[in-house]
Amino acid sequence: MKKLAFHTMILAFCCGMMTSALAQEQKAAAAQAPAAQPPQETVCFESRKGASEVTKRDLQPGWPNVKCSPKTGAALWYGDPYDGTVPMGKMPGLEKIPEGHAVVKPRSEKLAILPMCATACHNGVGPAFNPPKLPKDKKPIPIPTMEGLLPDAKDLQHGRGRIWCLDCHHTTKRNMLVDNYGDPVSIDQPQLLCGKCHGDKMRDWRDGIHGKRIGEFASTGKKRWFTCTECHNPHNVQDGARNKGFVQIAPEAPPQLPKGMKDAKYERVHGIAH
Amino acid sequence: MLSASALMGSAALMTMSDDAKAATEWAEHFQKNYRLMTDAEKAEARTRLERRYSSEYGKKVTVDTTGPQPGVLMGYALNVRKCIGCRRCVHACVEENNQSRGTRPGEKIEWIQVLRMERGEFSKDKMNQGYPEGLGIQVGGNAYTPAGQVLEGQYRYEPEAVPEKDATYMPIACMQCEKPPCVKVCPVRTTYREADGPVVIDYNWCIGCRMCMGACPYWARRINLTTPVLPKEEMNPVTHYLGNRPRMRGVVEKCHWCLQRTRQGRYPACVEVCPVGARKFGNLLDPESEVSLILARKNVFRLKAELNTFPKFFYFYD
Ligand code: SF4
Ligand code: SF4
Repeated sequence: MKKLAFHTMILAFCCGMMTSALAQEQKAAAAQAPAAQPPQETVCFESRKGASEVTKRDLQPGWPNVKCSPKTGAALWYGDPYDGTVPMGKMPGLEKIPEGHAVVKPRSEKLAILPMCATACHNGVGPAFNPPKLPKDKKPIPIPTMEGLLPDAKDLQHGRGRIWCLDCHHTTKRNMLVDNYGDPVSIDQPQLLCGKCHGDKMRDWRDGIHGKRIGEFASTGKKRWFTCTECHNPHNVQDGARNKGFVQIAPEAPPQLPKGMKDAKYERVHGIAH
Repeated sequence: MLSASALMGSAALMTMSDDAKAATEWAEHFQKNYRLMTDAEKAEARTRLERRYSSEYGKKVTVDTTGPQPGVLMGYALNVRKCIGCRRCVHACVEENNQSRGTRPGEKIEWIQVLRMERGEFSKDKMNQGYPEGLGIQVGGNAYTPAGQVLEGQYRYEPEAVPEKDATYMPIACMQCEKPPCVKVCPVRTTYREADGPVVIDYNWCIGCRMCMGACPYWARRINLTTPVLPKEEMNPVTHYLGNRPRMRGVVEKCHWCLQRTRQGRYPACVEVCPVGARKFGNLLDPESEVSLILARKNVFRLKAELNTFPKFFYFYD
């Protein structure tokens, strides 16, 4: 009912904006197909806001790939767990999983300027790179463009001052990360980098204890694995002084109040005073 | 006798009728308890229900009757340290399981509850407060604010953002007990433990006596006091007979670990939607599954273990 009222409101708003003739046409169309949404897309965020998203579409009539929360815009339900995924690639320790049964959502797709990093700016050309050299004190040179793109870079929180950009990003291939051997790895496989320090978390992640997997529950089943950076902000993992690995998000709506209750104050008043 | 034959006559008439709903309801009255049905009877019931639901909800609805799979015993684990109390699991469950979602009293049903517990503390300014207070003789101290748990917790917290600084969250739902008190008390034996673990309900045989609701120590069961409110466009058309098929008024329902998903090998909806990955599900008989590994490696506890209900829902922390 609420939804209907909401639609009606939107409709009323549109009517106000357009000529009455157009509005009437719209109304007629809306009456004919009340379930049909305007062509505008519903996109919801998954684990961490801004990290990965799904666009709603119907897999079959009345059976969407995802349902989004009207309150917070979060993904609330998955019809298709493999939406927009690609094979995870080689991952030591997961050899038992059959080919193609471990898939991930590529991070690179979300990072729109990634292909340009190593060509537009970090291309080894420029006054500071002739001959190529890096800051000796491992303090990033404050470049306004870079800091504008990545505010976290100003005062890098990850490692609390003990690490810097090139501990994680490849020196000469800036759109890639570094693995244990210093070799470049894709930004879609952050686990190969993060596991270097966070070995215990990596082990738990590999076993499905830490982090999130969706799809088939059998240990050899096809799963979409959420990679490190889908849930954690790699530049500020601990969320500053909060010191928690996961940022705060808005909660979904609370349950219905008991009959006759106006608010939930009663939950706070009883039981606490001893 | 007369009335009986009249009834039979109208039965024949109604079974013939085109109204899918009327025909189904009549046939349902003569339907056996699900556990006693033969495969043919199950198939019949399934076709009946599929026809009825499809016409009722205006889309193709399937009613699965897949039984327990050999070698599978379902288990669940939840990391209480990770849960941030966002309630996405609660709503995922509603989207998946076709609960009633009306606005009037008793019309909104949710199976998962997320309890907010205040952390509490021992504080200096309460150092000199005694217990009992004001009687002269003190037998204890009051230097604390209840730590860890505030009675049954708060259900309806609504801050701007979670997790809050001074709170921990503890989601509860049906624990799928190995020795379920709800099953022991059901007078019509319509609720029972399936061979792969979950405790299910054949809604058609539920008489709504609510004995199970009283017996369950985990507040897991809900009754449809009103006719469930389930809008057509929100209805999930992929259902299981013992799982999320639409319920009727006056029957009890509860979490069944998304039988319509898990019997097809898929994770439950709450596991898939938890943004922090606090929820884990798997086969307890497979030593490689995440729940088996959690049991082997982590610190695990069960809620109200002293009641000997032996839940297959485990809480753990890193
Ligand atoms: S938690 Fe409650 S409803 Fe679930 S099996 Fe145990 S006693 Fe039954
Ligand atoms: S979705 Fe996960 S984090 Fe959110 S309340 Fe449920 S268990 Fe807790």
